[in-house]
Amino acid sequence: MSTAPVRRLAGASTLLGLGLLLGGCLGSALRPLPGINQRLGQLGSSQAPALSGGWLALIAGNQGRAQVQLLNLERGLPVPLPGLNRPDSQPVSVAVDQQGERLVVVRQREGRTELVLHRRSLMASQTLPIEPAGVPRGVSLSADGRLLAVEVSRGGIWQVDLLELP
Amino acid sequence: MGCAPFGLRRQPAAPLGLGAENREAPALSGDGRLLASLVERGGRTTVLLQDRRSGQVLPLRHLRGRQPHSSPSLSWTGRYLALLVQQGPHRLAVLEDRASGRLLPLQLPAGREPQRLSLAPDGRRLAVELLENGQRRVELFDLGGQLEPDLAPGLRQSGGGPGVAP
Repeated sequence: MSTAPVRRLAGASTLLGLGLLLGGCLGSALRPLPGINQRLGQLGSSQAPALSGGWLALIAGNQGRAQVQLLNLERGLPVPLPGLNRPDSQPVSVAVDQQGERLVVVRQREGRTELVLHRRSLMASQTLPIEPAGVPRGVSLSADGRLLAVEVSRGGIWQVDLLELP
Repeated sequence: MGCAPFGLRRQPAAPLGLGAENREAPALSGDGRLLASLVERGGRTTVLLQDRRSGQVLPLRHLRGRQPHSSPSLSWTGRYLALLVQQGPHRLAVLEDRASGRLLPLQLPAGREPQRLSLAPDGRRLAVELLENGQRRVELFDLGGQLEPDLAPGLRQSGGGPGVAP
């Protein structure tokens, strides 16, 4: 017997309980966006989404073959990212500005974890130094792409650095 | 704020208090004024919302008792904070509207556990990384009918999307 209905019931009960606890402000089910979700499904496994403006950046593909993808949400299509994805690197996280011009990526390459700023119009990436030295993980960009927050591990402690980008 | 190569300007996030403390999962508001991050409070992972420049901690009304929190994401001005909270055995996506004081449960497809969120700065879309049968997949949802847009100053309220041509 399928457990799916039981799971659905349990999920609905949990949401109902939360809604009641929150004073009756139960939200309605979110409406999926079928066109773009169909396109996302074609990418296979995908993770680490970052929305900004009309853009969705994410990491798609299986371990060892994962790549950063950038989707134009108005057209429902991925755009090419020449100069960003490398066969010898594994992306960990990504952020994008609202113009879809700047992407910041944390990636593992040659045994190191590096922080990279990619400018799409220049088709060029540059490594951003981590100072004091540390291992980056999560990133967040302001909408104008000028301010970056990056999560960095230093000596076993996770910290947040803020960088103003040129 | 210190200087670094490539014209970067760098600073640590506003301090939380004495001693070294973990701070993870940074999320900037679209305008870069607010920073959400995860810290330990009473042994539980808790979202902290701060003014980026002053370090002032801003109140959140509804999230106490729903730790561990994860994956915070902010709208343009920080009016909306989307994140994952714990409700019994389930991870649930919720959104706090700091202007109205509402907490909105974001009802996602049953049987799939949300892992990460990204809220569009204007609050019109939500990207969710979902886990189902060991497979991670990003899906996009429409929030346009549920939230007032949180737009940058000067942008029209209708007919123009986020105001930036992708």
